[in-house]
Amino acid sequence: MAPLLQLRSITKSFGAVRALRGVSFDLQPGEVHALLGENGAGKSTLIKVITGAHAPDGGTLAVAGEAVPHLTPAKAHALGIACIYQQPALFPDLSVAENIALRLEKTTPTHLVRWPERHVRAAELLHRIGAEIEPDAEVRTLSMPEQQLVEIACALGSGARIVIMDEPTASLTQKEQHLLFAVVRELRASGVGVIYISHRLEEIFALADRVTVLRDGESVGTNRVAALNETALIRLMVGREVAAIYPPSESAPGEVVLSLRGVGCAASGVHDIDLEVRTGEVVGLAGLVGAGRTELARVIFGLTPADAGEIKLSGRLIALREPRDAIAHGVGYVPEDRRRHGVIFEMPIAANTTMAIHPQLFPGAWLRLGAERELTESFLRDLAVKTSGPEAPGGSLSGGNQQKVALARWLATKPKLLILDEPTQGVDVGAKGEIHKIIRRLAKEGLAVLLISSDLPEILGMSDRIAVMRGGTIVAALPGHAAAHDVMAAALGQTGKVAA
Amino acid sequence: MGKYSRELSVAAVLGVLLIALAIFAPHFFTPQPLLSRLASQMPALVAAIGMTCVLLSRQIDISIGSQFSLCAVIAGLLAAAKLPLVVVIAGALGAGAAMGALNGALVAWLGLPSIVVTLATMVTWQETLRLWQQGRLLNLPAGLQWLGFRQTTGQFVLMAFAFALVALAAWALRRVAAGRFIYAVGSDVEAARLAGIEPRRVTFGVFVLMGLLVGVAAVMNVVQSPQVQPTSGDGFELKVIAAVVVGGVAVTGGRGRLWGVVPGLLLLASVNPALTHFHVQAYWEKAIQGAVILLAVLADGLNRRRQS
Amino acid sequence: MSATPGNPWKSVFLRHETILLLVLVAEVLFFNAVGRNFGTPANVANIVRQSVEIGLLALALTPIILTGGIDLSVGSLLGLCAVVFGMLWKIAGLDPWLAALGAVVAGALGGGLNAILITRFRLPPLIVTLGTFSLFRGLAEALTGGTVAYTGFPPNFLALGHGFLLGAPLQAWVFFAVALWIWLLVHRTTFGRSFRAIGFAPEGAHYAGLPVERHLALAYVQAGAIAGLAGVIFVSRVTEARANAGTGYELAAITAVVLGGTSIFGGTGSVHGTLLGVAAVAVLANGLSRILSIMAISRELSGILTGALLLLALAAGAAGKSFAQRRQPRAAS
Repeated sequence: MAPLLQLRSITKSFGAVRALRGVSFDLQPGEVHALLGENGAGKSTLIKVITGAHAPDGGTLAVAGEAVPHLTPAKAHALGIACIYQQPALFPDLSVAENIALRLEKTTPTHLVRWPERHVRAAELLHRIGAEIEPDAEVRTLSMPEQQLVEIACALGSGARIVIMDEPTASLTQKEQHLLFAVVRELRASGVGVIYISHRLEEIFALADRVTVLRDGESVGTNRVAALNETALIRLMVGREVAAIYPPSESAPGEVVLSLRGVGCAASGVHDIDLEVRTGEVVGLAGLVGAGRTELARVIFGLTPADAGEIKLSGRLIALREPRDAIAHGVGYVPEDRRRHGVIFEMPIAANTTMAIHPQLFPGAWLRLGAERELTESFLRDLAVKTSGPEAPGGSLSGGNQQKVALARWLATKPKLLILDEPTQGVDVGAKGEIHKIIRRLAKEGLAVLLISSDLPEILGMSDRIAVMRGGTIVAALPGHAAAHDVMAAALGQTGKVAA
Repeated sequence: MGKYSRELSVAAVLGVLLIALAIFAPHFFTPQPLLSRLASQMPALVAAIGMTCVLLSRQIDISIGSQFSLCAVIAGLLAAAKLPLVVVIAGALGAGAAMGALNGALVAWLGLPSIVVTLATMVTWQETLRLWQQGRLLNLPAGLQWLGFRQTTGQFVLMAFAFALVALAAWALRRVAAGRFIYAVGSDVEAARLAGIEPRRVTFGVFVLMGLLVGVAAVMNVVQSPQVQPTSGDGFELKVIAAVVVGGVAVTGGRGRLWGVVPGLLLLASVNPALTHFHVQAYWEKAIQGAVILLAVLADGLNRRRQS
Repeated sequence: MSATPGNPWKSVFLRHETILLLVLVAEVLFFNAVGRNFGTPANVANIVRQSVEIGLLALALTPIILTGGIDLSVGSLLGLCAVVFGMLWKIAGLDPWLAALGAVVAGALGGGLNAILITRFRLPPLIVTLGTFSLFRGLAEALTGGTVAYTGFPPNFLALGHGFLLGAPLQAWVFFAVALWIWLLVHRTTFGRSFRAIGFAPEGAHYAGLPVERHLALAYVQAGAIAGLAGVIFVSRVTEARANAGTGYELAAITAVVLGGTSIFGGTGSVHGTLLGVAAVAVLANGLSRILSIMAISRELSGILTGALLLLALAAGAAGKSFAQRRQPRAAS
């Protein structure tokens, strides 16, 4: 019997970044196939290839034995491929029943809408997955997990043969999880193939038949779950032992720069954070996607102000209401989303570099282009940015060089604390090493660095201390020389078993 | 209250205003002038159907005043040439649909912002009309007024037609898939695309419908008087937008019901007579219209903030 | 930002403005050869006088459109400020120059209303300024009872609209002063940087610590003040203050800005482009009226041309953008 879905040697690049380097994957009917990998390993790209959202550069894709050369979202839908995204793609202004109906009904503009039928079906589907949601409720009034349940109901109702679940339990309660597991098992029993993406190992062991681990855009291998234990699986994910490619730490931690006591922010889901970062120290913030690391960074930078606890910078109790407050107190933040937040692609490198120091560099608001050029050039030299010059637009640079410009913007503010959020994501290997060297040098010069990364070797190789986050708070504080397994285990919520 | 709070509060304000008028200015309710006043609002009501769809799909059309004048003049010219009523109506509707299609094509296929596109077409059509007609009044043949009925009958026919159209549109927005697509596109374009809806087609269709309904509205206006004024559409767009926004349709798309637009329009339409009855100068109409738009949008904005 | 050789993005702007300049020169040469009395000093002064008010509004709109916003209310505000000016002089008995100051302050207050609704309440600029478009014009009509026009201004004030200084119409100097101010603001200060950053990436600007709300508010308040100034100049030119002053000017101003190469989506554009846009529209309208010698229809024709030009400029911009996007590989998502 032909597999439901077969991918062979799929490749996909975005500019210089090779997201998928020849991934093969197959899914059998009546199987739950888990897809595992660190952030940036290529899972999202692979899913988008399967749903037709991205056209692969190379490789073949076959559904139920038939090759599909040009898959589009519409074709994928027609072939019975359904995907539940982490960020539900729903209509916030419309009711739950209608959201489900718009996905399931034919899109001929003239057909008559039967509201009673829509309600009955929605209620039925929601009941099947055990969700206590009113079909009449507007989606905007639902919580994130409730919205995800609506997505699951859509997939269930579409009678899909292939269902992709992208971290479906990331925000579900215990009870909702159990119901979801029942749904997945029911799907499997009826011959549906489920691609299940999750970071929670216990779920994979509870649900999956096989598991494929992706790393750096390549498949590390597909195994039967029964043939693995947790240690083996974590080793597959982490891969190589931390090589000596990371520059050694040469600095001694000094006085405390940032001190958080019981800090929380209800709006962004972080709570009870206790954390200290000292001069000359790199503190790694580890955790899975959604653990609250970026949310914590946003609190420290004043983007989502804290509503609990106290924040001290250099010993002084301060309130951070907006980024300008944070900047004034010597905090810099290199954000995760370079395109939207880090670098303005359309503006010259020089303008990007000086954007956070307008009052200092340009007294009286008067641009001093000479001084700006000089400053920018010194940073370009210092950080070895490959570019035609300070006037080149930020978007013309490669990912690594963009990141250096984002870094330069904050170094120009002469910060005391620098928060780096996934500084090497989407950056090629060479530039990655350079950025690591820069971080080390900055720490040696006395900067306090808070490093957020989903790249475990990076956290292990760069950090003097490691704080592991899970569920919006810090669950473990480990030394910089901690074992990869311990960090991953803490992030996965296996703290009880780390005693070693 | 709850789900229909917006519609009910607008209706309540209208009720209060009408009661005040009944007490202080009872002659407001003299049947014949009241009927004329109501009938004269029917073109705006019909256009408000189109504007509701436009705003629901998260667009705007400020060119409908110019479209309205141009359609009225075309209808007038065709009628003056002694062509049959069907041709007169077809001419106005065709002209409206064509102008709507131009707006729709520019917005949907070129991805241009509707506010600027319709600002440009607004002035283009307005000045084209001026250049063409030089402000002439058009005299209409006798048979056209009130479609040949007696005045009162004609007024009732117009009102019945307009309300029937509103009922039909309200039904279609609720019960026909295409109507739901308008809500879907205005609520979230990406989700619409994922659901297999083609947003550009919906946007284009909505602008064509807008133009078509402006054509209908223009004919309904033409038959109410013995002459066609080439400036009949001046300020029409603001009146219609104000009515729709007051009626609870969100300018951010996807939210609102056509039924709310009826009290919205009647409220706006009663403001000016109320002013005259309370001896306030009628020149305040435009200012009040602007203030009402701002207040309605502000109320929506504050409401949205409180919810999120 | 100034153009620098070796930068492909900048040279696009340069090219846009160069093309516009060539179009302008071609217009002038053509009308000079074909039209009657086009090149006479009197007509040149005429063109300048007739385009100053729209030009001022275009200058005021350039920073706003750079931030990705829009202000439809400037034409109505011009009318309201003209009426306020007339009332301050005629009814309150103020010195005309003091009344002019009052009109500018009134304009700034009007702009302030837009600014508060847009920045504090986060309402979309298009619907806010559509509302104030109606509100301001309505207030002007209400204040004048729809019909009153204030006339009989003293000659020393009317000189603003009719006099000459160093061979140029007096109001041209006011215009140049404002143009210089806006040019410096947009191209030589951190405000201009901020406007562009907001236009390209509002969140990115916020993450960089720029005072996004304050700078947005500044752009709208400034536009109001300039509309007030334009109202005063309008009164001095037509010698009366009436409620319909500046009707339709917002379209002409937006057209000049977009024609001048400023993207309606924000971020890119220049003040010199806007100036060229203003000149191109003014020369075209005047030249056509000279050729046709039918003054009666020149107003309508220029209206049609303005609308058509705006649509063409927008369409060309959209086509150019999609072309550029197709040539550039999309970045990783």
